[in-house]
Amino acid sequence: MSTLLNFENVTSYYGATRILKDFSFEMEQGQCLCVLGRNGVGKTTLMRTIMGLTDRSTGAIRINGAEISAKPPHVRATYGLGYVPQGRGILSDFTVRENILLGTFARADKASEIPDICLRIFPYLKENLDKRAGLLSGGQKQQLAIARALAVGPQILLLDEPTEGIQPNIVNEIGEILKMLNKELGISLILTEQHIKVARKLGDAFLMVDNGRVVARGPIAEMTDELVNRHMTI
Amino acid sequence: MDLGSLLNALILGVSIASIWLIAALGLTIIYGTAGVINMAHGEFIMLGAYSSYMLQFYLGLPYLLCLPASFVIVALVGLALERGLIRYLYNRPLDTLLATYGVSLVLMQGVRLIFGSDPKYLAVPEMFQSNVMLGSASISAFRIVVLGITAFLVFALWLLFYKTRFGVQVRAVMQNKEMAASFGINSGRIYMMTFALGAGLAGVAGALFGVLAIVLPTMGASYVVQAFLMVVVGGGSLAGSVVASGVTGEMQSVFAFFTNDTFARFIIFVLIVVFLRFRPQGLFAQAGARR
Repeated sequence: MSTLLNFENVTSYYGATRILKDFSFEMEQGQCLCVLGRNGVGKTTLMRTIMGLTDRSTGAIRINGAEISAKPPHVRATYGLGYVPQGRGILSDFTVRENILLGTFARADKASEIPDICLRIFPYLKENLDKRAGLLSGGQKQQLAIARALAVGPQILLLDEPTEGIQPNIVNEIGEILKMLNKELGISLILTEQHIKVARKLGDAFLMVDNGRVVARGPIAEMTDELVNRHMTI
Repeated sequence: MDLGSLLNALILGVSIASIWLIAALGLTIIYGTAGVINMAHGEFIMLGAYSSYMLQFYLGLPYLLCLPASFVIVALVGLALERGLIRYLYNRPLDTLLATYGVSLVLMQGVRLIFGSDPKYLAVPEMFQSNVMLGSASISAFRIVVLGITAFLVFALWLLFYKTRFGVQVRAVMQNKEMAASFGINSGRIYMMTFALGAGLAGVAGALFGVLAIVLPTMGASYVVQAFLMVVVGGGSLAGSVVASGVTGEMQSVFAFFTNDTFARFIIFVLIVVFLRFRPQGLFAQAGARR
């Protein structure tokens, strides 16, 4: 196993406010890393820092050893980052097809077709390619956001609260799909999650965040109830 | 009044609409994509006219070749302006307003210094100088050329924005710059290219207006108000500008038929103010969150 993503003393800012402080961790190729913590501790900012969407950051961020922290978001995406943001970030004026095609602009091979995988795992999208994305339900939008991130041909999928605001039966479905992507296709996942159950089911490793700092990390088996209680109960 | 002359007014209205629309096209593209209110748009039009004048007067280029050449020249001016100034101001709308206004003054005075304040004229091929009968309406052949070129440009822009990968990139940036960037789209490059495109379209408009009227350093001012109104009423989208130009062009012509040009314009301005009171976002507003 080799290190896929590596943060070294990263501090990330909005304006003059530090959101992530001295943030260091690494994740292995093929892992599913669950980022846990209460609301507002910096989980979403971690995702945005990886994509380069915060105002500025210091420290080193490496993907496969390549330093990316000085690169703008549109260049970072081409390192194989498939981003599924909080709130899904679907372009509502676009059709389903155009939304998925958006993902292909970040492909390393410059292919302009929708990859098979996107439609194979989401039959609903396949049947509604020309529907306006704004008309989809929350769960369907989440599927579309994942399909779009897969169109990048990603090494890492960044999933920011993928089960937030989605009805329970779809939560399971999305959980299964993520598991399949991770275990069968070998796509590494970084997942922020409030549901401990989902994290335990999918995760290989965890990263507990509190107040912008890493307070604990390790294999998911080491995520004790005591740790969860200390950093996640309100 | 008789039905025949009302029909004439309607036909003339299409011609007026096409003139207003071609004046507004470049502004629409730049405002719609980058959200920049380009106060130098009128001067881009003026530069287009002077480009054609220079090419014709010094190089003897045939008029029909001056049109694409003016597009290229003014697009390059727009490109230089975007790279040198506008790109530093995208997050500061008020500053772009002032900066582009400053640029418009520089361009106007610069052209005045070089060419003087006396009017220049563009020569067109003989066949465009005649009048054509459309039904019972007599209309100058050149106005039909303007109409044709406007229709061609609208169609070409539609193809560009809705049928190409570049178009998908532009529309993605318009809706959500952050998500576009997260998927590999370089929004800076998109803004640069649309600004150049918008400037180039103003250049074509100028090359046409130089024939319809005379070429003067101040000529931009007479078109830019109409252009801005079309963009505001249309809501900044291509379809919006087309519909806004069509409707106001026809109204101008029909009101002028019953009263006179000046009064017709007065009525239209009042109607636009009332319209914007009830629909400030314009006809077809962009739903996306711009930056």
